[in-house]
Amino acid sequence: MTRLERFRAMLTLRHFDEACLEGVPTGEIHGELHTGIGQEAIGAGMMESLQPGDAVVSTHRNHYHALAAGVPMKPMLAEIFEKASGLCRGRGGHMHLFDAEHNFSCSGIVGASLPVALGYAYSFWMKGQDNLAVGVTGDGGANNGAFHECLNLAGAWKLPLVVLVENNELAISVPIGDVSATATIAERACAYGAWGKKVDGTDVDIVAEAFAEASHHARSGRGPAILEASCHRFRGHFEGDHDSYRTMKEKREMRERHDPITIARRKLLAEGLAGEAELDAMAEASQREMAELLAEVRAEPLPEAAGALDYLFVGGKR
Amino acid sequence: MSSAVRNLSISQTVAEAIGLEMERDENVMVMGEDVGKIGGVFGATRTLQKRFGDKRVRDTPISEMAFTGMGVGMAMAGLRPIVEIMFVDFIGVCLEQVYNAMAKIPYMSGGNVRVPMVIKTAGGCIGSAAQHSQCLWGLFAHLPGMKVVAPSSPFDHKGLLSAAIRSDDPVVYIEHKALLLKKAETFLNGGHVPEERYAIPLGKAKVVREGSDLTLATLSASVEYALEVSEDLAREGIDLEIVDLRTVVPLDSETVAASVSKTGRLLVVDEDYLSFGLSGELVTRVIEALGPGGLKQVARHAVPDVPIPAALSLEEAVVPGPASIAQAVRELAAVS
Repeated sequence: MTRLERFRAMLTLRHFDEACLEGVPTGEIHGELHTGIGQEAIGAGMMESLQPGDAVVSTHRNHYHALAAGVPMKPMLAEIFEKASGLCRGRGGHMHLFDAEHNFSCSGIVGASLPVALGYAYSFWMKGQDNLAVGVTGDGGANNGAFHECLNLAGAWKLPLVVLVENNELAISVPIGDVSATATIAERACAYGAWGKKVDGTDVDIVAEAFAEASHHARSGRGPAILEASCHRFRGHFEGDHDSYRTMKEKREMRERHDPITIARRKLLAEGLAGEAELDAMAEASQREMAELLAEVRAEPLPEAAGALDYLFVGGKR
Repeated sequence: MSSAVRNLSISQTVAEAIGLEMERDENVMVMGEDVGKIGGVFGATRTLQKRFGDKRVRDTPISEMAFTGMGVGMAMAGLRPIVEIMFVDFIGVCLEQVYNAMAKIPYMSGGNVRVPMVIKTAGGCIGSAAQHSQCLWGLFAHLPGMKVVAPSSPFDHKGLLSAAIRSDDPVVYIEHKALLLKKAETFLNGGHVPEERYAIPLGKAKVVREGSDLTLATLSASVEYALEVSEDLAREGIDLEIVDLRTVVPLDSETVAASVSKTGRLLVVDEDYLSFGLSGELVTRVIEALGPGGLKQVARHAVPDVPIPAALSLEEAVVPGPASIAQAVRELAAVS
């Protein structure tokens, strides 16, 4: 991807989650919604290193990773808006997106993504496929026992697993500094014979390079990689979270200083890779496309209530 | 097909089923603690690693949460993993992956993703007290999205496991530890195990003894216990009809209801806990099918909601066995 393409990808991610936000006050999304706003550089940065057949197993905050993995936007947005035409026919919702074609899945349970990703990694290794599995977790999930079990196993068997840690420094309200024995998550890599690195996850170019390095390591048969990307969650843990664990001033400064889109824009302009007008037009086009998609999705019907028991088992027999 | 009973233990019939399915489908693999080099602590995967290699028969560390979740990822990637949880009691450390991932993903994906995975685990009481003696099939059955199998006879162990491995739905297959080392020739029911591969459809109960006075519905080791006492009871004038449920999900309550409509009396024997479980569910379904007037008598004999105690005298007081089953039958028959 070119630098400009990375920027464009971040706009798509941001506008996708902004479209999701529109469904909350209207009740079209009647449950929880966790947006990745502020964390676009990570989703956009991982895209270019993923190859067809790679697996991505994400978390409750999964939209950006799904889009990075190639999950088509319209059925995904329709699923988040609880529509019959959704990716999972309205059975999954925003925390449970599954796309067999793109080997994308996720779990709403913190820490539970990594074992599933490890299974993909084992399968690729067993069949001699040149694929890798990305297991996404946050700083919170990195303190779950599954993190240890999976990295130990991946290290022992040299499985092609990239553990992507989105470190937004908060497990809902609990700061990572208060609950981690190590200053970084990446430094735990030495316990597992893994490659480990912590990078600035608000700079899409840095993330793209680091993710390429991590995936090269995992794909080359040398075992797992832990890529820790620091980032900032601009909104509450979920829509409706009072987010009282951060002051207004902190939040304002965070958005001013650490917005990955602003950071990339500034770099592109400074390096003469694009002009103001071009970037503005790009943002407007992205926003317009998303508005059209949202309008289409909103017009779709909800699933028929009569089908609520379908899809439990093959053939539907209970 | 030879009709002679081969002198196999149940665990050998289990290993035979897995081996035949591994020959048939290269996507079938087994993993778990001690399943490879020693072939399982109960011998239910013996010789498989030698035959199929250590990628397909994988010894794991004691990391149930990781390797149970791995099964889910493998199944979504196209494999058909059999994940062995050595004792069903250990499910507490990995239930997350069982009930939130394995069992729910097919539904949560709107049928777009299949998780063809088997959790093979050993339950049942063999004197190992509270943390190594549970059955827990009611727990799995309560949580939607997985089929739950608890075989009794040698013939069924092999055929139901083959069906479980071939199933595109996730299946929990619960062996009974007291049966695993028992020889096929000593069984009163289904001792003959054909050498070739065969599958028994999941969800079909089997009447293992026909009778006219009382329907005894049960599964797993209790089927043999009931058969053991049935002739004595017949001599006492109680002619039992014994239904082996074979699977808890799907629960073939139709076969039980058909039997009860003949006998009018139902005793459910369950080595799992009494409350909120299989026995209450089965009784309810039979009443729903036949109406409240469809039964003359009904009773349940199960573990009375206490952990399994260590001392033999206490264990015998709470876990259904041949003597307690006979007693429960007599009590129910005496009411009418």
